[in-house]
Amino acid sequence: MSTQGIDFSRLSLKDALDLAVLIEEEAKERYEEFADQMEQHRTPEAAKFFRYMALNEAKHGEELAARRATLFGNQGSSVNRSMLFDIEAPDYDEARAFMSPRAAMQAALASETKAHGFFVAALPSIQNPEVKALFEELRDEEVEHQDLVKAELAKLPPDPAVSDEEFVDAPAPQ
Amino acid sequence: MSATLEYQAKDYKSELKPIWCPGCGDYSVVQGIYRALAAIGRPPHEIAFISGIGCSSRIPGYTTAYGFNTVHGRALPIAQGIKMANPDLLVLAAGGDGDGFSIGGGHLAHLVRRNMDITYIVMDNQIYGLTKGQLSPTSQKGRQTCTSRFGSLEEPVNPLLYMLAYGAHFVAQACPTDLAGMAAIIEEAIRFPGFAFVNIQSPCVTYGEEAQQMKGLKAIQESLKALGHDPADRLAAMDLAQQYGTKMHLGVFYRNPEPPATYEQLVRERQAEQMKNAAPRERILDLFIKK
Repeated sequence: MSTQGIDFSRLSLKDALDLAVLIEEEAKERYEEFADQMEQHRTPEAAKFFRYMALNEAKHGEELAARRATLFGNQGSSVNRSMLFDIEAPDYDEARAFMSPRAAMQAALASETKAHGFFVAALPSIQNPEVKALFEELRDEEVEHQDLVKAELAKLPPDPAVSDEEFVDAPAPQ
Repeated sequence: MSATLEYQAKDYKSELKPIWCPGCGDYSVVQGIYRALAAIGRPPHEIAFISGIGCSSRIPGYTTAYGFNTVHGRALPIAQGIKMANPDLLVLAAGGDGDGFSIGGGHLAHLVRRNMDITYIVMDNQIYGLTKGQLSPTSQKGRQTCTSRFGSLEEPVNPLLYMLAYGAHFVAQACPTDLAGMAAIIEEAIRFPGFAFVNIQSPCVTYGEEAQQMKGLKAIQESLKALGHDPADRLAAMDLAQQYGTKMHLGVFYRNPEPPATYEQLVRERQAEQMKNAAPRERILDLFIKK
């Protein structure tokens, strides 16, 4: 998780909203990629959960984009995707072949925690009070998202006593 | 802050969905390549992306650039042919450590000494992943695999030291543990006027060892910039490169501050020189007529 070329002390509300939209867009695309990977590897339950997360990120992104459009119309943007790296998007190495729904949800939970950490870390640098309020709102929403994932996790039946990993053969000599 | 990008990373992403194992380091590498290409800003049709065979060699298909997934170990000769046929193309070559340092190893020295303006990105995972986990040229000594049940008896090759010793003018190393840094290094390599080599430590999530996964690599990574390394100092670069396998230095090991002319430039100069005394085309047949 990192950003490049963003001066949080000089961030305007327009830029902050654009940044928030981009963060959601990045997360949505990553969840879609994860869902595709799971479908490739015949893991439909995890794929279904990642699609659900992608939809949530898209919905949140649309809400933020609408807010931006109301406040600033078609004004040009000063931020772009090249400035952020894996803020709310799950890291690529969080995915595994044949992920259980629980592992998929834990990966999503780690991402929501990571995004919360991003807003917490950025807040002390922010000078603009409107941006500060927005970042506090986004930080708190990440906690809500974590609760959402935790609620889904709680619905899962307990994991079996043995995992699939225990049935994996060691490499055969050639 | 500036957002005036003519091309965005997504413009280089093809519709083909990667079939790498979930968690593979190559997913991050291709993202780094998209970002570097967007920063360079050349349109996809002006880019040729050539690869050999292996998991990582699938990468050209995942971009919108022209691509050629060639045969095992032969990415570099074909990339050179393409560059000679059309020197204006931005030519990238990619592959794995097996493709690049084993079967294709003989081509490296010759591309380096020829110094064509090609960027070679190796996704080094210390294993043959596509064929299900055999020893590769960069596998550590003692490594147990299906072809080395009692541990490898061979020393691994050191790609960084190889390239520096061959005389490469740009040698760097990156890792998906630092995506921003990796994209910046690939961009710098592409911008370098001449052959540029980037070794990317890209973990194999299925056959790689625990220590070579992201967490393990993060633990041994060290930024060359933070170490105060001067990338113009080739001997210092060679010293640092010796730690390949024990430490993971990220950044530019060596960048020749005065890059020599590329092979393409020399060929153009030679052609211009030869043309000075060349007979007009309509009189070429006269050269073969006995008088």
